[in-house]
Amino acid sequence: MFTLVRLVTFTLVAWPLAVVAADLYAGAPADAAAWLRWLGRAAGLVGFAWFLLAMALSARLPRFDLALGGLLSLWRMHHWLGAFSFVLLLMHPPLLALANVPAGPQAVLATLLPSLDAWTVWSGWAALLFMMLFLAPSFSFFGAPHYQRWKLLHRFSGAVLILALLHALALAGLLKPAAAGWVWGVLAAVTAAAFLWRLLLSRWLSRRQYRISRVNALAPRVVEITLEGPPLEYDPGQFVYFTPLDPSLPVGRGEEHPYSLVSAPHEPDLRIAIKELGDASAALMQVKEGTLATVEGPYGRFVPPQHEGAALWIGGGIGITPFVSVARAFTAQSASVDVHLVYCANDTSRAYYLAELEHIAARQPGFVVHPHYFAEQGALSASFLEGCTADYRQRVCYVCGPSGLLNLAETILTGEGVSRRHIHMEEFNLL
Amino acid sequence: MKRFMLICFAAFWSSVVSIWAYAVLATDGVADSVTEQRVISISPAELARHAGTDDCWMAIEGVVYDFTTYIPRHPAPPVVMTDWCGKDATQQYRTKGYGRPHSPAADALLPQYRVGVLEQSE
Ligand SMILES: Cc1cc2nc3c(=O)[nH]c(=O)nc-3n(C[C@H](O)[C@H](O)[C@H](O)COP(=O)(O)OP(=O)(O)OC[C@H]3O[C@@H](n4cnc5c(N)ncnc54)[C@H](O)[C@@H]3O)c2cc1C
Ligand code: HEM
Repeated sequence: MFTLVRLVTFTLVAWPLAVVAADLYAGAPADAAAWLRWLGRAAGLVGFAWFLLAMALSARLPRFDLALGGLLSLWRMHHWLGAFSFVLLLMHPPLLALANVPAGPQAVLATLLPSLDAWTVWSGWAALLFMMLFLAPSFSFFGAPHYQRWKLLHRFSGAVLILALLHALALAGLLKPAAAGWVWGVLAAVTAAAFLWRLLLSRWLSRRQYRISRVNALAPRVVEITLEGPPLEYDPGQFVYFTPLDPSLPVGRGEEHPYSLVSAPHEPDLRIAIKELGDASAALMQVKEGTLATVEGPYGRFVPPQHEGAALWIGGGIGITPFVSVARAFTAQSASVDVHLVYCANDTSRAYYLAELEHIAARQPGFVVHPHYFAEQGALSASFLEGCTADYRQRVCYVCGPSGLLNLAETILTGEGVSRRHIHMEEFNLL
Repeated sequence: MKRFMLICFAAFWSSVVSIWAYAVLATDGVADSVTEQRVISISPAELARHAGTDDCWMAIEGVVYDFTTYIPRHPAPPVVMTDWCGKDATQQYRTKGYGRPHSPAADALLPQYRVGVLEQSE
């Protein structure tokens, strides 16, 4: 199944490149103008194909993300495809216009800004303008976006799909017109289905309802929420999209946000731990027991399900959550492991999971926990890691926490000769 | 990546604006010369005499064009055009042979190849 998903994704990335290459092979453009026209068309073809793929990926069917290395790498692929397609589609009109330079300025202008009844060209323009509108905040053109507003704006991608499709069908370009109808028609239909799934259908078909049975304050501005409901099959360390429905919430009601599961798969209930990081998460500090919430997932693959081999875990602040889940899962198995966990907290009062982790470590052979307190010991350093376990350079490293810690850990580990292949990082931010 | 995207975004708008400005400024003179063109009347027989690849006239919507120099520049292979040398190619031009009209950019290319108008046979 995974091989199939990977194969399909690879094909969808590669097919426009193959078409472009085949066209070039069939006969290279004769002169500079012909080259520009060819480049303009190729940019349009590859750009639209990747746009469709970026959009189709956003369906994020639970578990299918594992085929592409987890949801975070799927989103990364989504970003890159989106960025490349945007750049290519920006190049598409100027290249085609410049290709008409030998025919004179009137032809150049008419390519770019044709008469008003040339709807095929204007639908392309409208698609591009909508694309600028919905992507400008994705690339922080005008400063860091407000997440929820960004997400609403992102839905204008649907308008781009329709407008660009009209344009591509009418002006076949490098594809033969009959082929263009089929290729764009089928791809756009599948993509539109993925879009509708994400925006509408998944709300009923993929989100499952739970009851918040317990809200446990772990520390100031951090709560652990227990969810009672249908059993969910997941691997320790995965995350879900969580949507609270408590009518008394002042903000964030009905809004979905990603949270790591801190429960272990063998437990009957789901648990998530939430730190106040913005308005919606702050409101959750007061969420009422007994109210409803939905969960969609599981997603992601940060720590692999089988932990063979020696590992170093570094968890900072709320970034400890995926490790808590894996550690809790240790209690249901008997095999020994080889894991050193560095738990970075500001001070003892912020190490809210430390007692439980040490309790697990006392029973689990090969699992060692090392607290690190920023207020006392300063920033994490190579010598601190050396003190935890002298062989840390030979371990596969997993780091989760605020971006400052991720950068620091990466600098330290790569500086000590750990290869990037052995450093896995999870950041609690999708943009 | 964010920085690079912003640069591309800016590059797009500056190229669109400069292409537009160039075309508008450069078109001022051309437009006049096109409208001032004398009306030369060409008979179908005269049109038919220019039916070779090295001397190719065509009529489109009642106007006769000399496409000899344009054929090598045409995006599609030359044969799609040369078959129509010396003939009325209105239908071909409108459909490109598969039911799609030419683009406004193609329309804008026509005037510079114009040689006259086709004599209407009554
Ligand atoms: C894979 C993953 C796992 C996470 N696990 C946990 C966890 O176990 N515990 C925890 O407390 N937090 C976790 N987070 C972070 C949590 O999703 C955000 O703190 C929360 O969405 C903030 O929402 P807000 O409206 O309170 O804050 P805002 O003021 O909207 O934003 C604060 C920050 O959170 C980011 N953010 C906001 N909304 C979202 C969203 N819908 N999706 C992604 N990022 C968003 C913003 O980019 C911003 O940097 C996780 C995030 C990711 C991506
Ligand atoms: C080709 C262009 C793109 C299209 C068509 C597209 C489309 C979409 C769609 C339909 C969604 C689902 C939205 C939802 O759940 O409400 C989505 C999600 C997302 N997109 Fe894009 N996108 C594009 C480019 C980008 C780019 C360039 C970025 C960032 C640099 C980006 C970042 C994201 C993120 C982070 C999400 C997940 C939101 C969440 O789950 O909270 N997208 N995209």
